[in-house]
Amino acid sequence: MKIDKKEKAVVVIGSGPGGAQVAYQLTKQGIPVVLLEAGRRIMKEEYVNEEWPAFSQMAWLDKRTMSGNARIVKDFNGLPTWLVKAVGGTATHWAGATPRFLDYEWKTKSTYGSVDGATLMDWPIDGKEMKPYYVKAEDAIGSTHRGGRPPLPANNNYKVFAEGAKRNGYKFYATGPYGTNAAPYDGRPASIQDGFNFQGDKNGSKWNPNVSEIPKALATGKLELRTNSQAVQITTDSSGKADGVLYMDTKTKALHRQEAKVICVAGNSIETPRLFLMSASSRFPNGLANSSDQVGRNYMRHLTGSVYATFDKPVNFFRGETMAGFLADEVKHNPKRGFVGGYYLETLALGPSFLGAFLDPGKWGKKFADMMDGYQNMAGMWIVGEDMPQANNRITLGSAKDAFGLPAPNVHFDDHPNDTAMRNHAYEKGEAIYKAVGATQTYRVTPYPHTHNLGSMRMSAKAKDGVVDKWGRCHDVKNLFVSDGSVMTTGAACNPTLTITALAIRQGEYLAGQLKKGNV
Amino acid sequence: MKITRRELLISAGSLLAYSQLGSLANAEVNIAAQPGDQEMIASMCKALYPHDRFPMSIYMDVAAGAIKKGNADTGAKISFRAGLDGLKINKFDKMNFKKQTKYLKSIENTPFFGLVRGHTVVALYDHKEVHKIFGYQGASFDKGGYKDGEYNDLTWLPEPRIEEHPDLTAFLDDSSPKKYASLKIKKTF
Ligand SMILES: Cc1cc2nc3c(=O)[nH]c(=O)nc-3n(C[C@H](O)[C@H](O)[C@H](O)COP(=O)(O)OP(=O)(O)OC[C@H]3O[C@@H](n4cnc5c(N)ncnc54)[C@H](O)[C@@H]3O)c2cc1C
Repeated sequence: MKIDKKEKAVVVIGSGPGGAQVAYQLTKQGIPVVLLEAGRRIMKEEYVNEEWPAFSQMAWLDKRTMSGNARIVKDFNGLPTWLVKAVGGTATHWAGATPRFLDYEWKTKSTYGSVDGATLMDWPIDGKEMKPYYVKAEDAIGSTHRGGRPPLPANNNYKVFAEGAKRNGYKFYATGPYGTNAAPYDGRPASIQDGFNFQGDKNGSKWNPNVSEIPKALATGKLELRTNSQAVQITTDSSGKADGVLYMDTKTKALHRQEAKVICVAGNSIETPRLFLMSASSRFPNGLANSSDQVGRNYMRHLTGSVYATFDKPVNFFRGETMAGFLADEVKHNPKRGFVGGYYLETLALGPSFLGAFLDPGKWGKKFADMMDGYQNMAGMWIVGEDMPQANNRITLGSAKDAFGLPAPNVHFDDHPNDTAMRNHAYEKGEAIYKAVGATQTYRVTPYPHTHNLGSMRMSAKAKDGVVDKWGRCHDVKNLFVSDGSVMTTGAACNPTLTITALAIRQGEYLAGQLKKGNV
Repeated sequence: MKITRRELLISAGSLLAYSQLGSLANAEVNIAAQPGDQEMIASMCKALYPHDRFPMSIYMDVAAGAIKKGNADTGAKISFRAGLDGLKINKFDKMNFKKQTKYLKSIENTPFFGLVRGHTVVALYDHKEVHKIFGYQGASFDKGGYKDGEYNDLTWLPEPRIEEHPDLTAFLDDSSPKKYASLKIKKTF
């Protein structure tokens, strides 16, 4: 469908799990949508099964800077995040782990109480309200172990992980829930265990909007997908409502304008606040919808960290699904451990190319080389846990400029002492798992460039505490919505994409209803 | 080592895109162009990431890439020249491994060291021959993926359960905010 730029359209910005889902929910109900995506559409035949070439094919590499005390600031200053600029968004890279929030994780302030230096806050929604949307999200993604869908088989990395977990007395391990098909589902085939899930998945077994919501929305005939179209400013009318989007053709650098009646922004937790800050005007001098001064703040990246171990026998952990291994025993809040919140452990395999860059950034010498030398006998896991929201962990417009002359975002990130305490606990437990099955060497690995990017446009009951309300609608601008992971009030322990999807389905249904009633 | 536009290097502190080195043709002075220079840099690459299993030819490939980067611009050239000079004067390639490590420690904060190390850690572990030596098989899509009996061929541990534990749902569902709020925080951090 072609939509005139002069027509006051429903405009969605960003085609990741958040934006693509909202666009699909609306078009499914017959509402025309213009979807602006900064990247291009990469079809699965084009995916490259090599780590660096695949990374440079899809990663968002526009200029960014970093500050703060987290180690990543020193190690990867120009690359704070690991995000994708392509149709389907970062889910092109995602692995597929799909756990849900626990009930109290929607209410961390009331549950954990006050934590020094943290800006914990209860979400304005709860587990009960979200439950039906989680079911819809699991069905949309096709999560294994859910909705009667079968589990993936064990690969070698999982065998080591599960047996080590068992010998440590853990019970709650399994090969999912995971967003890659174990059996054909929703027109997509079963996994062929080819080991390149992160690189887009040439087989199309992995869920990602580019193989699901985007083609489905296009099939409704109501979607206009404009690729290489990067939104750079949202404009407002004299009443303070959003009335258009200025966007740039990233190839020709020509600036265009799309008139809008409703705008949903889903550019991820860096680009969404950046766009709001770049949309400052005389009416909104601190940035659009920022009367609370919360735009860009409370940015979270999850706890993260990894443990790798070598054994005296081969593992070949690179074969098969990248992250189909799950352990939930440490997820529950248990302040006796010396921190609030909890974490999951999940299997993870990297090829030598990525492992060399991420095992211990900046390190060299014999110990490092010996660890790499054990590659064939190596197993690996990833830690994902709740990190503390902090007011000064935030996205701002820095003084540096990107290649388009736009202010580059600066990402400030300090580790909270709770994050450090939890990470150390998780390192110990991860090592214990591998030692129980005979590890000869274990290695604690610092967080990679952020793959989970949350907060920065937080959801709040009251306008003074956050940017958006319980529907993701801006407190200050009633026809402007945020539809991605940046709305997260707090991040919970679980990987975020299932929740982003559930929230986007809920928002899409709500918005369709409001549009039909003429309320927006 | 072949440099392609899409190749990327992540080094400590920065993300550098390899660029086409077309402007090199006009450069008046090329650094590390003397006989033996590439070998000298290769000995440094090997001392940084020592693998007895790797033939010297792999380190020579990596060194060639480092030298190209050392010629990328004037700033790189002057620091690379100074660094290489240091290696030569101290006969780095003739030192034993322990002395080499000590020497490298002493220059760790120089831009020359940063360039060579940052390049080596990426180029070495991305080298196709290294992948072979490591037993890394890489892409399998064209062969239909890793087969049953291949991705799961580990036999030194028992077959694990793949389904969720029957108690998992009850464990996760038991998470009422009220109940968990009654657990008191013991501040230890
Ligand atoms: C290696 C890796 C593994 C991961 N594994 C998991 C996992 O196992 N489980 C899990 O839950 N999550 C995982 N994630 C995280 C997951 O990918 C993200 O949570 C998810 O993609 C976020 O969705 P989003 O819609 O908020 O943003 P994104 O997916 O980042 O989408 C944002 C989109 O907006 C576009 N955009 C940005 N700015 C603009 C603009 N100004 N104009 C137009 N378009 C714009 C971008 O190009 C992009 O396409 C992983 C991520 C990575 C990198």
